[in-house]
Amino acid sequence: MDTDQTPIIPQPEHEETFWDRHRFTLLLIFTVIIAIVLTCVSMVMYTASGAAQLDLSRPGYQSVSDKVDRETKIDEYDAFGPVTTGTIKEFRELYDEQAAKAKAVDAFNGDPLNPEILEASPTTGE
Amino acid sequence: MNTAYARIFGVALAAVLFVTAVTPQVSAQSAEIEVSRLQSISENCVSIKNTLNQLHASDALLRVNRGQVYESMASRMMDKFNTRLSSNSLDAKATVSVTTGYRTALDTFRKDYQAYERQLSVAIKIDCRENPGLFAVAIDDARSKRKVVHEDVQKLHQYIDDYRSAVGDFLINFERVGQ
Repeated sequence: MDTDQTPIIPQPEHEETFWDRHRFTLLLIFTVIIAIVLTCVSMVMYTASGAAQLDLSRPGYQSVSDKVDRETKIDEYDAFGPVTTGTIKEFRELYDEQAAKAKAVDAFNGDPLNPEILEASPTTGE
Repeated sequence: MNTAYARIFGVALAAVLFVTAVTPQVSAQSAEIEVSRLQSISENCVSIKNTLNQLHASDALLRVNRGQVYESMASRMMDKFNTRLSSNSLDAKATVSVTTGYRTALDTFRKDYQAYERQLSVAIKIDCRENPGLFAVAIDDARSKRKVVHEDVQKLHQYIDDYRSAVGDFLINFERVGQ
């Protein structure tokens, strides 16, 4: 009676390489590296584009983050339609209203960084 | 002749003596002011930092609120009217030209605000108790950059007025042609 000597689990024909043995670990490492690189790129873009300065959810801006003006909105003029004396005058009236909203605040006026104002503040919290 | 030379020499000598006598006093005065300023910065460091932090936040809010309005003026009013004129085959060169100038001014406003905000952040990070001199320089720089931002705002307001004038001129021409 012959007995079959063939092993149930086939033996590999060649030795496993480093990559074969650590495939999963290397996959995880590469994934983390790619995630870090993409995060760095997006942070650079976030800072360089000026988006960071408009982001009021950043630390230091919590006191004003709920004060964003949602009331002052510029109305939209219809880009399509006929042009008549009436429509131009209508546009001019609408424009005057919106221009008044835009010019209502003389933003960044004053001189709060003047040393005489800034540095003469009374000492507090010392 | 000799008397004239002597007079000129005398006047020149007097001038030199006056300048050499006054200049050290002026520079000593400015040095005194500088020293007292640095001392004031060191002493009021905490309150100055608080003021700067408040200004930093309130200016950011102002930038967001005004930026939205300025952007909308271009996209919701100027661009739309220019499109309407063009779609009716009318000459919109003047209004388009003002809109282009307005957009350029808006870009400058954005960039100048970024430069100002960065400079103010730099100043806030400096330890004003340890480095009052460096802090004073940073604040002076931020101050001049804030003035530039205010000038940009005034330019934007001027362009808004210019666009209104351009529409007025267009209306006059349109009525003249229509008659």
